Amino acid sequence: MGHGKWDDNAYAAAKTFRAAKGIADFGYTASIKSQPRDNWKAAKALDPFKVALRECRDSPDHADSTPIAVLFDVTGSMGSVPRIMQGKLGKLHGLLQRKGYLADPQLMFGGIGDADSDRVPLQVGQFESDNRMDEQLRDIFLEGNGGGQKSESYELAAYFVARHVVTDAWQKRGRKGYLFIIGDELNKPRLEARHIRRVIGDDVNQDIDPVSVYRELAKKWNVYFILPNQSSYFHDDAIAEHWRAILGQNFLKLDDPGAVCELIAATIGMEEQVVDLDQALVDLAEIGSVAESRSVGKALVAVGAAARPATAAPLAIDGPDDVTLT
Amino acid sequence: MSDHVIVVGLGFGDEGKGAVVDALCADGSVDKVVRFNGGAQAAHNVVVGDRHHTFSQFGSGTLAGVPTWLSRYVLVEPIALATESRELEAIGVTDPLSMMSIDARALLTTPIHVAANRARERARGADRHGSCGKGIGETAWYGLLAGRKAGELVEGQRVLGEPGPAPTVGDCLNPRAARHKLDALARFYEPLIGDGTNVDELVALYRSFADAVRITTGDELDGRVVFEGAQGVLLDETYGFHPHTTWSTVTPRNAKHLLNGRKARVLGVTRTYQTRHGAGPLPTEDQAVLDRFPERHNGTGEFQGAWRAGHLDAQLLQYSVRCCGGVDGLAVTHLDADGLKVATGNGLEDLPDPVAYLEDLLGVEVLVTGAGPARADYAVRENPRHDRVDAGVGGRDRAAV
Repeated sequence: MGHGKWDDNAYAAAKTFRAAKGIADFGYTASIKSQPRDNWKAAKALDPFKVALRECRDSPDHADSTPIAVLFDVTGSMGSVPRIMQGKLGKLHGLLQRKGYLADPQLMFGGIGDADSDRVPLQVGQFESDNRMDEQLRDIFLEGNGGGQKSESYELAAYFVARHVVTDAWQKRGRKGYLFIIGDELNKPRLEARHIRRVIGDDVNQDIDPVSVYRELAKKWNVYFILPNQSSYFHDDAIAEHWRAILGQNFLKLDDPGAVCELIAATIGMEEQVVDLDQALVDLAEIGSVAESRSVGKALVAVGAAARPATAAPLAIDGPDDVTLT
Repeated sequence: MSDHVIVVGLGFGDEGKGAVVDALCADGSVDKVVRFNGGAQAAHNVVVGDRHHTFSQFGSGTLAGVPTWLSRYVLVEPIALATESRELEAIGVTDPLSMMSIDARALLTTPIHVAANRARERARGADRHGSCGKGIGETAWYGLLAGRKAGELVEGQRVLGEPGPAPTVGDCLNPRAARHKLDALARFYEPLIGDGTNVDELVALYRSFADAVRITTGDELDGRVVFEGAQGVLLDETYGFHPHTTWSTVTPRNAKHLLNGRKARVLGVTRTYQTRHGAGPLPTEDQAVLDRFPERHNGTGEFQGAWRAGHLDAQLLQYSVRCCGGVDGLAVTHLDADGLKVATGNGLEDLPDPVAYLEDLLGVEVLVTGAGPARADYAVRENPRHDRVDAGVGGRDRAAV
């Protein structure tokens, strides 16, 4: 099993055996959905309520841990993204490690819903560097509803990462982690104190401006919002304007939702200044993501990567001042 | 042919056993293919139309729709099995794992065995045995260690630490038993491969493996069975040329144990020339033969070494047949090769008609012929020269009429 490290074959074998047994890859969702809606809840390992901290720590096997948090919008139009992630997880992890983008990536997955209308508006797992991250993904509850107000509780997830995640990367080395939020709608206009109390359990009594949450988050995290072409909002300029105002060029539009893993890998490779865009696309093609690399190229070119000199990391925002905040 | 058949390779492997098994299964007369030796290192090529698969743990009757039983003599590697299942799905086999059942007593080949196998073979440097690097020998060896103590020599290899009981396929049903045995296994191999094995993960993986295949505790020999041998008699652990052997009984002995007195016909498979992979003797080796017959599906393996070829070797064939306790018929493949020679005790002779020559040499009939890689190139000869085969009077024990 590669001595404590992720093993593509073992991961694929487990998936093959589960599929043969007839278990869907998202078994938790299947089992929960068969129950009355009042019983719907996050899997225990993913429930953020009263969680003091999620930690990304170094270990003898992973001495230079880098946190990567991937939080998906799991409402109706976005439900297929976790499935795509799940199918390509081995590839993502393998690419990051084998191509030397990161020595010790640790991944955490979570789900984002609508705190106004969903039973389970937030799920946050733990940082894992081995096949357990697959388990975690499969335990994400794909509630599927969403409020229909063109907004989801992204800022609630951002708040959790800002306040309830600690990383050795930051504490020991002053290095930022990576947070990818994958969705297709706007933040809620306010992060409501009652939602924080109900979902996370923090004793907060005042509503919070979502932008201030992202500002706080950007101190310790490279934050990206990926808008995959999955719903009519892909072509809605209001979404792009909203996120660009908060994250600047770290708002990424992806025309092929199937390339989300590849986009994450390429973005990290470039942010780490290990590869430029051209090399990242070559690396993707090499792992078999030829069609995906085209979409990744488009997503990153669209934010101006190609216009920069090849030597500079096209997405080199470093430090909070580079993030456009309003 | 209507009785049980035991398909055995008479060379160093790569005789064409897979295609022969597929040919026997193609008419729908076979109910099950049973593997009776070896493990994931088997590589049996079957070509049906535009579909090709190299069978490793699945039986070579799979493309003909025939299910596989891995008997207790097989070494089972679940991770490789899953990979093979996906490959089969990719060429159109629906839910391949549902066509697979495995005896609970079969030994389990784990990533620990694989890592140990590779570490040892690498350490041999220039003296490599030609191992496939798939943990087969290591699985067999660890399986022999029950009751042995650290420091003892077992089959020429020193016991490193305190061995535990060997994990079996049946253990996969029971996470506690699996964990216990895998922990002991990981500890045992620590001096050789280090301590990084994630036993928890292996236990979980093997549990889902156990859910996905049928694990059997008794006899699975219902209906008509083809026993598919792996490797060739010249690699047999007892009769092969040590140390260039496999840790496996290649002769029909295991199949006969499984049959427990039921009758079966032993079908020896040979090419019209000799081949082998990697190191070890190949008395009739000739570069000219290798140059004439390049292989599409056989190349140089990292651990196995180069692909080699030589002339048909009459004495080796006779030796193999003797090791099998005689055979009841032959399958001859690569009959599309012409201009062949055969090495007899008296040197190299021209070989105009391999079928006639081999029937004469070994005193049995050629029952399956192959003249190319695909199923369409194969023929099962019901009545090669007389009607006596189906009447049950043919075979090596009966004089030709």
